[in-house]
Amino acid sequence: MMNVINRSKNELIISEASKLRWEIGENLHDSIIESIYMDAEKISGKVVSFIGEKPKFDFDRIVDKIVTSKWTGFPIMFLILAFVFWLTIVGSNYPSRLLASFFVDTIHPILKDYANIIGLPLFIGGVLIDGAYISMAWVVSVMLPPMAIFFPMFTLLEDFGYLPRVAFNMDNLYRRVGAHGKQALTMSMGFGCNAAGVIATRIIDSPRERLIAIITNNFSLCNGRWPTQILIATIFIGSLVPPVFGGLISAAAVVAIALLGIFLSLVVSWGLSKTVLKGEASAFSLELPPYRPPRILQTLYTSLIDRTIFVLGRAVVFAIPAGMVIWLVSNINVNEISLAEHFIKWFDLYALIIGLNGVIVLAYVIAIPANEIVIPTILMLTILTLGISDVGAGSGILFELDNAADVASILHAGGWTTLTGINLMLFSLLHNPCSTTIFTIYKETGSIKWTLISTILPILMGLTVCFFLTQIWRISSGI
Amino acid sequence: MEPLITLIVGIGVLVVIILIAAPEKGLWSRWAKQKTQREKVLVEDALKHLYDCEYNNIDCTLNSISGNLSISGDQASKLISKLEELGLIVRKNGKIILTNEGRLYALRIIRTHRLWEKYLADNTSVNETDWHNLAELKEHELSNDEVNKLAARLGNPLQDPHGDPIPSESGEIPKVKYFDLSQLSVGKFGRIYHIEDEPGEVFAQINAQGLYPGMQVRVLEKSNTRIKFEYEGEECVLAPVLASNVHVIPLEDNEEITKDFENLSSISVGEEVVVVALSKALRGQQRRRMLDFGIVPGTLIKAQLKSLSGDPTAYEVRGTTIALRKNQSDKIYIKRKEKV
Amino acid sequence: MSKMENNNCATCPAHNLANLTKLGVDMTNFDYVVALAGNPNTGKSTVFNNMTGLRQHTGNWPGKTVGRAEGGFIYADKRFKIVDLPGTYSLLSTSTDEEIARDFILFGQPDVTVIVVDATRLERNLNLVLQVLEITERAVVCLNLMDEAKRHKIQIDYRTLSKSLGVPVVPTSARQGDGIKELLNSIYQVSIGEYKCKPHRISNEIKNVSNAVEKLNRIISEKFPQLPNTRWIALRLLEGDQKIIDAVRSGEIGSLSRSDEMVVK
Repeated sequence: MMNVINRSKNELIISEASKLRWEIGENLHDSIIESIYMDAEKISGKVVSFIGEKPKFDFDRIVDKIVTSKWTGFPIMFLILAFVFWLTIVGSNYPSRLLASFFVDTIHPILKDYANIIGLPLFIGGVLIDGAYISMAWVVSVMLPPMAIFFPMFTLLEDFGYLPRVAFNMDNLYRRVGAHGKQALTMSMGFGCNAAGVIATRIIDSPRERLIAIITNNFSLCNGRWPTQILIATIFIGSLVPPVFGGLISAAAVVAIALLGIFLSLVVSWGLSKTVLKGEASAFSLELPPYRPPRILQTLYTSLIDRTIFVLGRAVVFAIPAGMVIWLVSNINVNEISLAEHFIKWFDLYALIIGLNGVIVLAYVIAIPANEIVIPTILMLTILTLGISDVGAGSGILFELDNAADVASILHAGGWTTLTGINLMLFSLLHNPCSTTIFTIYKETGSIKWTLISTILPILMGLTVCFFLTQIWRISSGI
Repeated sequence: MEPLITLIVGIGVLVVIILIAAPEKGLWSRWAKQKTQREKVLVEDALKHLYDCEYNNIDCTLNSISGNLSISGDQASKLISKLEELGLIVRKNGKIILTNEGRLYALRIIRTHRLWEKYLADNTSVNETDWHNLAELKEHELSNDEVNKLAARLGNPLQDPHGDPIPSESGEIPKVKYFDLSQLSVGKFGRIYHIEDEPGEVFAQINAQGLYPGMQVRVLEKSNTRIKFEYEGEECVLAPVLASNVHVIPLEDNEEITKDFENLSSISVGEEVVVVALSKALRGQQRRRMLDFGIVPGTLIKAQLKSLSGDPTAYEVRGTTIALRKNQSDKIYIKRKEKV
Repeated sequence: MSKMENNNCATCPAHNLANLTKLGVDMTNFDYVVALAGNPNTGKSTVFNNMTGLRQHTGNWPGKTVGRAEGGFIYADKRFKIVDLPGTYSLLSTSTDEEIARDFILFGQPDVTVIVVDATRLERNLNLVLQVLEITERAVVCLNLMDEAKRHKIQIDYRTLSKSLGVPVVPTSARQGDGIKELLNSIYQVSIGEYKCKPHRISNEIKNVSNAVEKLNRIISEKFPQLPNTRWIALRLLEGDQKIIDAVRSGEIGSLSRSDEMVVK
């Protein structure tokens, strides 16, 4: 009884409120905020004062003028980003090799010996040590050093306050394609690692622009794909010109692929904002924080924990089962030949239409956890199908060669042409994100739909581009 | 395989995919649109039309129904029998009258329609010329529960983006007195209350002039062929036919008049000005973000920095630096400070 | 029965345990719960790390956009749980983050809400402070980035600020770890009820609507006389805020009253 009376009284409040709402109209929210700010102004006017005169030399303003000026803005931005990338690529070379030699050349034989001593069946040892362990070792040694260099540097620039200025400068371009200027930052982050780039889109607080940034992040050529590009460009494009220009031309080819990626990310952003993402909310806001002296140690610590270890951890989790799969398909034989060879033969029929081959397609399928292990997988599968036994470490075991010429001879033996090389470079840019990134996209968007779109869209683009290039190439070269 | 043939086949496949999947004009979306043309839609559209007639005190006829829904007279009379069967209408002396139930049903459809328009305006980047058409489809799809959830999410709005009142869950709708813009006398100020969104071509023309509900207008000149008025410092000429689709409420004296204020985008770097109002065209999240940053009437704002490509511009607001795009600063009205 | 005891106990925790559990906060090993709110980019996470000493496991909450972190600290033998809310500019808009923060402060009723404020941009930050003070009776303002303020020659009279806001104001430079001890002490004092907050309420008349607000306010305070800030609820109802409408409808809003008022000195 009491309850009923209470309820009706509550309903009375609500119905009274909705009646009054019609009287006061829709400007209430504005008026409330206005009143709050009137109070805020009054209070802060009472308690805030400046000591002495306002400083004549305003550091922030001067830096701002320089980094956003028509003449100096672009060069500074370009130099800083180029320096970060250069340092990442050059600086990670040595530690990567060190880690690889430690994990692969030192620890791996020890594990094998130990397995022999305890009498582990060959099959189990193969799956665990040659499969799971080696793939994990590769992922760690090629991913860890570049991320440990790239992320702290990026975080330092962020802490200092420079990155928001980059977004400010680039916004005009991104506005035209329906995106947010901050996408320039998440894209740059993607050059380090797409998974980290996807996480970085959290800085974009408008839902539509954030989705655009997530879906297009894969068009940034990530760290794991640079070595593939450089190697293939050296072998197949550098060799087309006299050796003096070889280095220059192959470098130009790699840069062209990266630029194509940036261009496509803009085109796709535009397309998305005009079609499937039309229905998502969009609100631009960008605050330019004051410059603050970065705190080096703190930054090193947090960027190592939050970004490097976090992303690496996810990659390792995916690398282990993939390593097992790689070993298994190369070692389980059906009708005399391994599963891998069956797959390759079958894929070959279709892959040749798009100017690739069965090895490449299978490598992209089973090396999904990280782009870093695509080349080792391709090499392993190539010698497996060719039956070469004097290079590599055995079937199902990933390996890499220090000398590009040795790689070239294996690939040529595998039937690769210049067209295959170019198509591989394009496909390396335009294919599904690695499983770590796919998982991260799912975590960030919480939506299967957007995860599928971000996964399938680049593959379709890659297949289409390779297909048409191949036909045109063949027609023009008369084969 | 012959590459030329493969190439042609490839192009063929691409063309077919585009034909099927193209947005709006593709076969897929046409098929999806077709699918919604069912009886339920006809019933609901007829109810809406009948409610419209009732609201405007016009008599509805079989002809007007068949015209409005673009169906044959035969179909229309079948539809009417169906409505009568359902107890949504009664026929009295040849007139078609909504029953209470029918009216509530119609109001629910209208509520859905207007809420969806509000949603599109506030929470999506869909163009204003598409709002009405999309809502025409959506109004037949949402369940009562979904509609209430949508209303809750939007903060139970009172008006749709055209200024039409949104009926409440129980079907209450207030009557507001308004005039056509053509009825406003010369020299008087009025606030746009509502812009009729049908027919679509007329709405598109009015929309192209940049008129929004909530905008203040003043009629400068009136003749049989044209009505000249000014809004937010700009002059505009409309044919009387168009002007009669713009509904205004005469301004009371105490409402602040925002006629000759400039836009924030017009100030140059280093200049400091006072915000006087935010345009009604600044909606939803966009508007709330501006308010959160402290951009409210009375706020001092100073242009500080232009991006290297000229847009956006960074402004100093309450001690913080905030970048605004030109299409945002266009919607903030300012007053230059008087020189002391 | 327990409610009666609560009313007579000035040092008892004020949080709404049932609601906290609903919000996913496990309070088994803690005496008090502290919410950490603030604008983005005010060094909120630095303050959080400083308070928890980073020894505590900072588990990410499953939030849709930005995770919320939890940690803990012990001060004067009391165990505090601290919940880092997403950084927001306001509590009135409709984004998910703001709703998470608002719901936590309103329905979870933390024993203290710490609002981290950027001292170099006080005016803008006061927007959030004043909004938080509208919905809670127990708050501490952490005036962070004092080192930056000094560098920009900004001086803040934090005692006057504290008087104007009616809650403790503690100047800190979390990056250097300055002022954290004082902050913990203030949190402690507010938690145990030693410091009685008299939070500032928006004083200005709200343009064109004061009549409607007053009318509604009267009806609400008749029904819920123990509620401290019925005017705020009136404003939320007039804005059509569904969460508040539901809370009024179910009467839940009545259970959110602070017990301090009942204490007879």
